[in-house]
Amino acid sequence: MTHPRHDLFEDVAVRLDSVSLRYDTSEDILSDIDLVLKPGSFSFLTGASGAGKTSLLKLLYLALKPSKGEVSLFGRPTSNLTRDQLSALRRRVGVVFQEFRLLEHLSAYENVALPLRVLGRREADYRADVEELLAWVGLGQRLHAKPPTLSGGEQQRVAIARAVVTQPDILIADEPTGNVDPEMGTRLMRLFLELNKRRQTTVIIATHDLGLVRQVEAPVYRLTNRLLVQDVEFGGQAARRRTDPGLGG
Amino acid sequence: MPRVKETPLLPVEDVREAALFFVVGALCFLAALAALSAKSTYGAAKSWTAEVQGELTVSLPDADRRGADDAAKIIREIEGVREVRVFSKEEIDALLEPNFGSRGLPDSLPLPQLVAVKADPNAPDMGPTIARKLTEAGIASAVDEHADWAGDVRRVLAIARMTAMIAVALLVSTAVAVIAFATHAALLARRDIVDVLHLAGARDRFIAGLFERRFWVLGLRAGSVGALMALGAAALMIFTVQAHGGRSGLLPELSLDFFDLVILVITPVIAGFAARLAARITVIRALKGVM
Repeated sequence: MTHPRHDLFEDVAVRLDSVSLRYDTSEDILSDIDLVLKPGSFSFLTGASGAGKTSLLKLLYLALKPSKGEVSLFGRPTSNLTRDQLSALRRRVGVVFQEFRLLEHLSAYENVALPLRVLGRREADYRADVEELLAWVGLGQRLHAKPPTLSGGEQQRVAIARAVVTQPDILIADEPTGNVDPEMGTRLMRLFLELNKRRQTTVIIATHDLGLVRQVEAPVYRLTNRLLVQDVEFGGQAARRRTDPGLGG
Repeated sequence: MPRVKETPLLPVEDVREAALFFVVGALCFLAALAALSAKSTYGAAKSWTAEVQGELTVSLPDADRRGADDAAKIIREIEGVREVRVFSKEEIDALLEPNFGSRGLPDSLPLPQLVAVKADPNAPDMGPTIARKLTEAGIASAVDEHADWAGDVRRVLAIARMTAMIAVALLVSTAVAVIAFATHAALLARRDIVDVLHLAGARDRFIAGLFERRFWVLGLRAGSVGALMALGAAALMIFTVQAHGGRSGLLPELSLDFFDLVILVITPVIAGFAARLAARITVIRALKGVM
């Protein structure tokens, strides 16, 4: 966990060029979005409910194709990639879904280990890492619990552990602290910051929790009227709160 | 933590899979029976035609017993003829008994002499050769080659065999279609799991493999049950026929030999492969619809 995995020629982790998105024949949800996230950057995405934050994130984690424009990851335009190449890119992206998307028939441990099974890793090789990660998010005693028996906050922590277990190059989180208490929220933010700082993981977090945004010195992108703007004010406030004792990074 | 067996990524669908198991098992039962019928019909055709191949009956309308013996002598000298026998009066009476009763025929009724001939089945034009030789000797004759009658039987059996094979093909196709439909339903029901795996970077063949394994096992199990039921049904038919004196009338010969057992053994394997193929094609095609 000490070396960045980005190739030297990958000077951009995420790039959106004039990206628009519409579902079926409705109006554009997102319009002419330009965005560049450097490797190792940490950003927030804010906006009112229904502004299109989740849709924008879906474009970033390659769940949707843009109606117009180009999405590039690690310097590679994704529109002409083969399905296997897209899968390879997705493996470098960890996602915390707003609705968690845990598999109900699997235990917390197996849910966290899911991306490792997809990678073909042997259970004996990753067991200790998964247990340690679950302990770190406070679920060391809930390894065998199935999601329906977990609280919302616990499910959210399992979802976060699953997103970071492969130590992805990009971490995309949709309201990752929406169901946890402030103390756990701070702890999870520390995990994101640690990943960002130690592994140069590019992190983008969608949230409308302005308190969370103010805790970190990071660029804030705001979706409004289908457009994406960079919000300078929040970044300034975040800079002023850099000395917050709760966030050492 | 003690090492535990990994939970399958696709949860077991008890109700849906039980219904599918029943349908596939029933289709395999019918397909195995149809395949056994096709094989049995093939065996019967082969056996019947082998029996009559090379057999001829020569009818001598104007000859008496001595004339028949002369004709037999001429026939015996033809190359390829293996056995020649003149029918006795009693044998001719026995042949006509089903039509004229057991009291025999009046001596005044003119009957042709009959000569039974067994020849090499591969000898060419045996019927015309016998007729020509007898004509040259001044003996009027009519030669009946049994193989001509066997040809009709063979054609009927070939149609029956073709019908059975079409039934097998249709049943296998139906099983594939049913499994494809069930896979699609399972895919829709487990869209959440497929989406998560897809977004975690699982390749299409990884996801398809989950469904393939599931339906491969289902096909194997259902096929085994269907094949066992077919074995039971065939055994019951054979038992019933043997209990009634071993005669199956015009039905093909009933038996269970090595090749019948091969059919029963490969039925579940074919069912498994068909299920696996159907699942793979269905999942790969469905995944093509998502990014």
